[in-house]
Amino acid sequence: MLKNIGGIEYDCYPLTSAQLLNLSLIKAGASGEVENIGVGDYLQIELNIAALREALNRAVERCESMRMRIWKDPETGELFQYIVPYQNEYFEYYDFSAWSEDKVTEVLNKWTSQPFDLCGGKLSRIVIVSLPDGYNGFYFNVHHACMDSSSVIAFTRDVIEIYCSLLYDMPYPKPMASYIESVKRDMAYEGSKKQKRDEEYWKKQLELSEPMYTDYTGPGRLMQLRRENKNKKQRWGMLASSDGNGNTITYELDVESTMKIMEFAKEYDLPMSAIILHAIRTVLAKFNNEEKDITISDLVSRRSTLNNKKCGGVRMHCFPLRTIMPMKTTVLESIRMIKKAQDEIFIHSDYDPLKCFGDLSEKFGAAPGSTYASVDFTYQPGTLAGMGDMLKGINFKSRWYSSGKQPKPMYITAMHRPNDGGLNFYFGYQTECATPEEIEFLYYFTGRVLFRSIENPDKTLKEIIDMT
Amino acid sequence: MFEKMKELICQYVEVDPDSITRDSKFIEDLGFNSYDIMCMLGDAETEFDVEIDEEEIMKCKTVGDLLDYFGGQE
Repeated sequence: MLKNIGGIEYDCYPLTSAQLLNLSLIKAGASGEVENIGVGDYLQIELNIAALREALNRAVERCESMRMRIWKDPETGELFQYIVPYQNEYFEYYDFSAWSEDKVTEVLNKWTSQPFDLCGGKLSRIVIVSLPDGYNGFYFNVHHACMDSSSVIAFTRDVIEIYCSLLYDMPYPKPMASYIESVKRDMAYEGSKKQKRDEEYWKKQLELSEPMYTDYTGPGRLMQLRRENKNKKQRWGMLASSDGNGNTITYELDVESTMKIMEFAKEYDLPMSAIILHAIRTVLAKFNNEEKDITISDLVSRRSTLNNKKCGGVRMHCFPLRTIMPMKTTVLESIRMIKKAQDEIFIHSDYDPLKCFGDLSEKFGAAPGSTYASVDFTYQPGTLAGMGDMLKGINFKSRWYSSGKQPKPMYITAMHRPNDGGLNFYFGYQTECATPEEIEFLYYFTGRVLFRSIENPDKTLKEIIDMT
Repeated sequence: MFEKMKELICQYVEVDPDSITRDSKFIEDLGFNSYDIMCMLGDAETEFDVEIDEEEIMKCKTVGDLLDYFGGQE
């Protein structure tokens, strides 16, 4: 619909369920006003500032969601999004080459923590940067209502590919897809046959018994809540931070170990995400008196079509991935059950996740803000891992910067490193909800369970737990 | 139905539609991963107006398997 914004008429669209999911975290105060993603991509080659500025401009022109703005209707308070036309931009340059890497990271973390005014115009910032050791590139900070991690990767990759094609004999990247077309597809989903099927599926899940909250620190938090609410049978948990302050701890799995998991995945025709989820799930069972009913919040990128892979914007949804397994379940059975549960989520992942979680709480009379999942998980297969081949020997590095806030109490991301393909595990956590020691403990046992499992796929969960 | 299926497949993977045959395997030949397949099946359910049994459909490894499955559902 056409709206007059600042004297100019724009085609405006309502926010999508994925955007509303992100904004709900801000509304809940979980991450304060800061809901940013900060990244830096750097090549170890001499910087050509003019070419990089040109590449950045071309990439912004090609990517509609980089030009997305949000407008609040003053009469209804409803939020709308629209795309402004491309205008050539001047990108600042900062030379940090004489600084230490730690000091640069400190500055870029600080930049990432600067809030954007959601309805005040541009929702991103790009700065050309020189780092120590001859690395040059750009820092990119964007509001999470504009982009999720998949589109950040797609956009930054586009910049590097354009830059390299301007300077070297490398092919010019294919065009990006339209973001607004993806918004239109999301709008067409509402009330469609597919939405009805998805709704039926999620309603059917509500007919099952109440899930069980299993905390990554063990049963103590649930026990405490039960005492406070004088309800010995309470199954929902409450895990929230008052200020959203948080941090990310990164663990790097070596290439050889990563290859072991990948070979196992290939041998048994299983997805990596299900294998890692099996490890996290088993650790939660181990920490919670061998609980058989475990729910993890599974994040789905919803970028399966070619258009959705390259349209930018925010498409990430999350849903409760619930599995009930007796301790006699074998590793292979466990991973296959998780895969099946995940497959079902994938098929029905266009459904509004806020509605899904809301209906679940309502059905079982859980308090507002309650949860059955203490851990959110995503496996990010679409990374910059293929950049190495394209850059033909040019060293490349990618860094994610912290805004100092976290949207979730415990958000684990598994992602392949661009340089060697090894797995990185990012543990994003809210400091009121976890300590670095608890994270270390969680990662340590996740790793142990993971490798004991792939070495012993026919052992039962009980045996794996006893071995670790 | 085969032509419609080819169109659907090409929304998910970069392949020449003419190279898709009934024997094409989703993962090995067409480059699908399990996530893409499940999402495509969600769309196919609507496109072909059939009910999918998630467990049964995962046995379909080739385009022909899937066409037979949908054919049997009509």
